[in-house]
Amino acid sequence: MLTEEGVRIVELGEIPFDEKEILRYAMLPSFAPRPEELPLQECLEAAKGAAQCRAVWRRYPLKRDGEILDLGFTKTASKDLRRHLEGCDEILLFACTAGAETDRRIARAKMASPAKALLMHAIGAQQVEGACDKLCGQLAELFRDRKLTDRFSPGYGDLPLAMQKDVIAALDCERTIGITLTESLLMTPSKSVTAMIGLKEKKP
Amino acid sequence: MSFMELLKKGPFYLDGGMGTLLQKEGLKPGETPESWNLTHPDKVTAIHRAYYEAGTHMVAANTFGVHPQRYSTEDCERMIRAAVDCADRARKEANAPQEKFIALDLGPCGKLLRPLGTLEFEDAVRGFAEVIRIGASCGVDCVFLETMNDGAETRAALLAAKENCDLPVLVSNAYGADGKLMTGGTPESLTAMLEGLGADAIGVNCSLGPEALTPIVERYLAAASVPVLMKPNAGLPRDEGGRTVYDVGPDAFAKEIAALVKKGLRIMGGCCGTTPEYIRALTEAVGTDVPPPVVKKDRTVIASRGQALELGKDPVVIGERINPTGKKKLRKALEEGDMSYVLNEAISQEERGAQVLDVNVGTPGVDEPALLESAVKELQAITDLPLQLDTADPSAMERALRIYNGKALVNSVNGKQEVMDAVFPLVKKYGGAVVALTLDEDGIPAAAEGRLAIAERILKEAEKYGISRKDILFDTLTMTVSADANAARVTLDALGMIRQKTGCATVLGVSNVSFGLPEREVLGSTFLTLALERGLSGAIMNPLSNRMMGAMISFRTLTGRDENCGEYIRFAGSLPKLQAAASAAVPAGAGAKEPETSGLRRAVIKGLCRDAERFARTALEAGQDGMELVQGEIIPALDEVGKGFEQKTIFLPQLMMSAEAAEAAFRVIKEKAGARDENQGNGTPVVIATVKGDIHDIGKNIVKLLLENYGFAVTDLGKDVPPETVLEAVERLHASVCGLSALMTTTVPAMAETVQLLHEKAPWCRVMVGGAVLTEEYAKEIQADGYGRDAMAAVRLAERFTKEGNGGQAE
Repeated sequence: MLTEEGVRIVELGEIPFDEKEILRYAMLPSFAPRPEELPLQECLEAAKGAAQCRAVWRRYPLKRDGEILDLGFTKTASKDLRRHLEGCDEILLFACTAGAETDRRIARAKMASPAKALLMHAIGAQQVEGACDKLCGQLAELFRDRKLTDRFSPGYGDLPLAMQKDVIAALDCERTIGITLTESLLMTPSKSVTAMIGLKEKKP
Repeated sequence: MSFMELLKKGPFYLDGGMGTLLQKEGLKPGETPESWNLTHPDKVTAIHRAYYEAGTHMVAANTFGVHPQRYSTEDCERMIRAAVDCADRARKEANAPQEKFIALDLGPCGKLLRPLGTLEFEDAVRGFAEVIRIGASCGVDCVFLETMNDGAETRAALLAAKENCDLPVLVSNAYGADGKLMTGGTPESLTAMLEGLGADAIGVNCSLGPEALTPIVERYLAAASVPVLMKPNAGLPRDEGGRTVYDVGPDAFAKEIAALVKKGLRIMGGCCGTTPEYIRALTEAVGTDVPPPVVKKDRTVIASRGQALELGKDPVVIGERINPTGKKKLRKALEEGDMSYVLNEAISQEERGAQVLDVNVGTPGVDEPALLESAVKELQAITDLPLQLDTADPSAMERALRIYNGKALVNSVNGKQEVMDAVFPLVKKYGGAVVALTLDEDGIPAAAEGRLAIAERILKEAEKYGISRKDILFDTLTMTVSADANAARVTLDALGMIRQKTGCATVLGVSNVSFGLPEREVLGSTFLTLALERGLSGAIMNPLSNRMMGAMISFRTLTGRDENCGEYIRFAGSLPKLQAAASAAVPAGAGAKEPETSGLRRAVIKGLCRDAERFARTALEAGQDGMELVQGEIIPALDEVGKGFEQKTIFLPQLMMSAEAAEAAFRVIKEKAGARDENQGNGTPVVIATVKGDIHDIGKNIVKLLLENYGFAVTDLGKDVPPETVLEAVERLHASVCGLSALMTTTVPAMAETVQLLHEKAPWCRVMVGGAVLTEEYAKEIQADGYGRDAMAAVRLAERFTKEGNGGQAE
């Protein structure tokens, strides 16, 4: 039907829980003692099977027109992104989500206690971030003859959040992995990430 | 033959991919397929024509993405008219002998519905209604809803079609490899819901190839009483020299699908990556095969968003606790519009084995229709159990049924003509299985035969509406045995009789039987066993009662429904633990009396909820004053933790655990004070909310907890709250402090608007703001009175504002 040429969907499933990362997302630094009754195990149990991480990505040629970057799916004058993509001639655009069930489990935890809700949020964040890492690992493997930059997302630096609309449309996110945007440009499901990675020549 | 006759007979061929073919013709990235109806009508027409000539009975007009969420009404109309013109021209020009039809093709609108997204259900209905009316006026033969990946949106679209045209509606959902919709629906839950709403054919399309979709289609065939359709992708896409190719060719594609025709598949075509060649191969592979006739499945099924539950086979537990009758706290919560009590009852009943939840919010002085609707919405956001909508008010029933995501159990209808006239049309329109009470204008018959006679009359009346017998469940009315020695016997006799004579499933409110007697559960659980033996399908009961659950689970175990006694053993295992937990709460602190108070302080600092609760209880029992405990132990402990947080020696999870431990201690103290101090909200009133457009509320919830710890009477308006609602609450409560949260730059304007409105209309109220994107400067810019960089800062601000407010008029 509408799937644009070149859009790729990747099933990433559930990401192994990483307690250290989860606590970091819950704003507990690694050096701080873990509160005795922190219901982490209970929350991990409650989160089990919730995440259905999926991603969609697409490769675009990167062109420059003076101050303007032509990303293939949209253009931008962002200085920060230009700096980030220094030396690149292509980008990989991707979106990744932990899925709707994760949001539902968070909503449920809210009823039980704010501490549990905080932990469930953190678990969701760890899932989607872990899924992004897994995806990026796969992309690095796929494009092993190229050098990949770090991820850069709309809303970082001076790159406007409004670009989300173009990103979601370019990747046909509604249909491919079920991410939609609200009027205020929030992604639903909430544990979702969009980003770009630059590709450049690998130095010998 | 008419469209519906052909559809029911099968095989009926649909078309294949459109987008991929348009791309081959030159559709550029960023250009929408539907725009080509206006700019390249010849090319669109040629593709339709190629499909007709390949054997397609019905092409989908190129209207998939046309929706008021994306286009103005005028543009929708222009594009739909042009699309139908293209399809119609193709139909006339095509050199193809079969009967040919055109569908108005509609996909998802691009916005996710509440509670996961922000789109209101009725706004979704309105949007679809608009395009469906346009399509119908263009003379299409049916409405085809496809690639729908959310059950609630599917429901909105189907309802819009049913309310705005008389055309047949075909509904096709997009499943993931896990056999679920993106938001969690299953083939069984969707079948129950869509058939209930009157879909003419249902099935699946897109996302997967024919092989991966086969098991999902088989589940549809096993569940559905209407024709089933399938439109897979040509397998999965991959890169080949810079071009996208799909990995299943026309012949393999056709073979997989054709194999399903013998199993009952009758409507078929292709989705992404398929071409006229695939459809031709499909017609050839099916050849002269004809699917077996559609069989009506004679089952009573209800469903939630993601679960279908069959009634009448294994008995189920319907949790009775969401009902304000005799529950003072729930009644008060409902009067205040506070749903948290209801939601917590739902979770605890689910955890103890309820399979359906009865929802009754009727209490004097509330707007029951609005309250029931909101209860259903909020319950469905946190539980996936099917709901039994319990109200005697038809308008409340309609509002709840309309937004209920699934197929509800409707409680109830009875033999009174007036009631049947009100309830059956709702069941017909929205779907549902309905509980029918065996009483009528003359009351409840004293003999079982009388109740059977009413049941038969109810079935006849339902038939007039085309409501299937399988969707009626009978309740033979449990009467109090203390009032009439034969009451239980007659109820049970009627139950057995109706079950045997009508074959319908049955429901009983079990608890009533023991009303007015001591040790009610002893009698109730035996009554339950007797009723189950007579064929009771659903027991409306208290799942929190071990004795009642014990009777239910024992029955299952004793009647061959519990393989290896697994369920019974699990239940039994949970019993001693429960008892131990109940007794542990009392004696643990009994030995050591002196260090109790300092123990309380330590427990709060360490975030030990159980200890905090226990120490508070023993201190009170030892005669300590509650207020002294709060002032002398809890507040100093919170202060210590709060300071640690500000100095970054204590972090958020620790702060929250302490807050929860403090809350646990407060609860104990309040309970003790209970009778003396009905009014707990005696602190300074504070209103908090996440602003309109923003649905992130974790930060706001943390602020709420801490403010409550510090004695503020917090009214939490939730998330995505419009400025007017905030103002209304601030005015009503004369709140001197209001806290607003926003996470995104895009929602800060809504925050600014709210601040301004408050300054204008409620100048006494000081507004503090916080959230991820806010800074001190930003807060000043939008003229907030204070910026809370974290939850503790918000508490300090609220304290300062209160002090200043008391000292003089804050301007």
